[in-house]
Amino acid sequence: MSNEIIDGKARKVLVDDIDTDQIFHQSLLTIHDPEEIKPHIFGNLDGYRNFGKEDNTGKILVVGKNFGKGSTRQQAVTGFLAHKFKAIIGASFGPIYYSNAVNAGLLLVEVPEIANFSIEENDELEIDITQSLLTNKTQEINIKCEKIPIPVLDIMKAGGLMSLGEKFE
Amino acid sequence: MEGFTLIEKIIRKHTDAADEDIYPGNIVWINLDIVTARDYAGPQVIDLFQKYYPGSKTFDNNKIIFTPDCYPYGNDPKHVKDQEKIRVFAKEHDIKVTDLGSGIGSHLLFRRGFSKPGDIVIGADSHYNILGALGILGQGAGDVTLAFAFKTGKSWIKIPETVKVILEGKYTWPTTSKDLALYVLKQLHEYGITGKAIEFCGDVISELTIEDRVTLCSLITEASGMIGFVPTDEVTTEYYKQRNIDIEVLTGDENANYASEFTINIDNLGLYVACPPHPHNVKPIEEVLGTPINSIILGSCTNGSASDIHEAARVLKGSQIKPEVRFGIVPATREDFVEINLNKDMTIILEAGGNFFGAGCSTCAKGQYGLTGGETAVTLTTGNRNTQGKIGPADVYLASPVVAAATAIEGKIAKPKMRDD
Repeated sequence: MSNEIIDGKARKVLVDDIDTDQIFHQSLLTIHDPEEIKPHIFGNLDGYRNFGKEDNTGKILVVGKNFGKGSTRQQAVTGFLAHKFKAIIGASFGPIYYSNAVNAGLLLVEVPEIANFSIEENDELEIDITQSLLTNKTQEINIKCEKIPIPVLDIMKAGGLMSLGEKFE
Repeated sequence: MEGFTLIEKIIRKHTDAADEDIYPGNIVWINLDIVTARDYAGPQVIDLFQKYYPGSKTFDNNKIIFTPDCYPYGNDPKHVKDQEKIRVFAKEHDIKVTDLGSGIGSHLLFRRGFSKPGDIVIGADSHYNILGALGILGQGAGDVTLAFAFKTGKSWIKIPETVKVILEGKYTWPTTSKDLALYVLKQLHEYGITGKAIEFCGDVISELTIEDRVTLCSLITEASGMIGFVPTDEVTTEYYKQRNIDIEVLTGDENANYASEFTINIDNLGLYVACPPHPHNVKPIEEVLGTPINSIILGSCTNGSASDIHEAARVLKGSQIKPEVRFGIVPATREDFVEINLNKDMTIILEAGGNFFGAGCSTCAKGQYGLTGGETAVTLTTGNRNTQGKIGPADVYLASPVVAAATAIEGKIAKPKMRDD
């Protein structure tokens, strides 16, 4: 993550309380290869069962509240990295999911009022990290995001937590 | 100066950050007391560790434990290889393994005294926050977080706001701590505790056993909370005394900065069932009485203790489980298995038609007894998750061991008529 502006088209999955079993089902837990995880993303979420087969490269995923609640499974993060999403914007995230994502280099941005912010599918979105601002360029409106904590940015910039660990002896 | 909440106190003891940096919303680095991994995720943690830190030692082999508890003995070639990978790595690095049949890692941490109040522990189990029942800061973590912790002994934590939850009143049988936990889950989900810590208080707390407290704290995850704590008291002190461990009594400061206080009245609490498709879809049992059930599981870190099995045995004694109902029991740990053998609960349940599986996890992560089949396998479990499609395409209900036993006899969701005293 080299610049402070992240932009991409919106891919909306504006459903609250999406559990990790709906993101990546427990019957698939022996799968770890990112490319093999990819087609199964949201395979257990009504209305989004074909999501895994879409091309979402460079998009920004838009979700509701409590996204990623449930288990600790890393695949629920890996799958979105494999889809090459630039970030996930949501009202709130399960606490374990939040750290799993950040540590693996997937940026999560909290926008508590996301449900009241107009976003249509494929609208052009822009996240300004320094200003903590989400802009819908298509509709020319913007809204405040929660400030992204500095340590989180440091981990993102290092390319994930594992690279930081190399410094420890 | 303002005091600290319980979680702030624990974090403060585990960080180099200054006191003024201990406030909700801030992120600090913490030093971990114990890092665990299980047969699920453990092999990926090992792969990451070896890829990024080749030839490296772990931060402290005495502070890491492998706790295979997810998958049974050899039911899938991948699991067997994963379990072997753990044993090989553990031997090479001289790391303790509580191998298959020992039980659920989170339970072993307190049952065997591996961790004590005030500790910080992480592992690949989203219900590690049940340890809050004993004043331990337990957190679930994914592969990357754990692999980094294996190497450094460190992790970062976003200091949560703390909500003080006051439980007002008392309940009596057939209501148990599971009904309390389900009712509290429903209230807290509506109240909104995403990412927050809870401190439970109220007169009822001193009457709850360690197992009851574990049940209560186990559903905080399902409300997207970070952790629920029961501040340590005589019950906790006595529990550790039996394990020859002295503990420090840990409570939040009176002048701590609580985000809010929330009172839940539990007087005359009835029986509750979590209905599809979410754990927080909790309803009074009266609304679902008579729902046909043909698959029942008694187990999990929420309700797999000997005391839970005992509750079921008391209802089942002298009765027969309906032949079309499959009633599986998965004791949480080997110690629970021993206990139900000594007190004959196992015999009572076997004679009633129940089936026992090896100690460990159950439906939550596949476990010793996991997926239940097709559209017709409607399940009631004492576990903690009923997300649609999780263990099969059919509906899943969550309830107490007492309700599970009554339902097993009737083949439909039922209230217990009596129990053997």
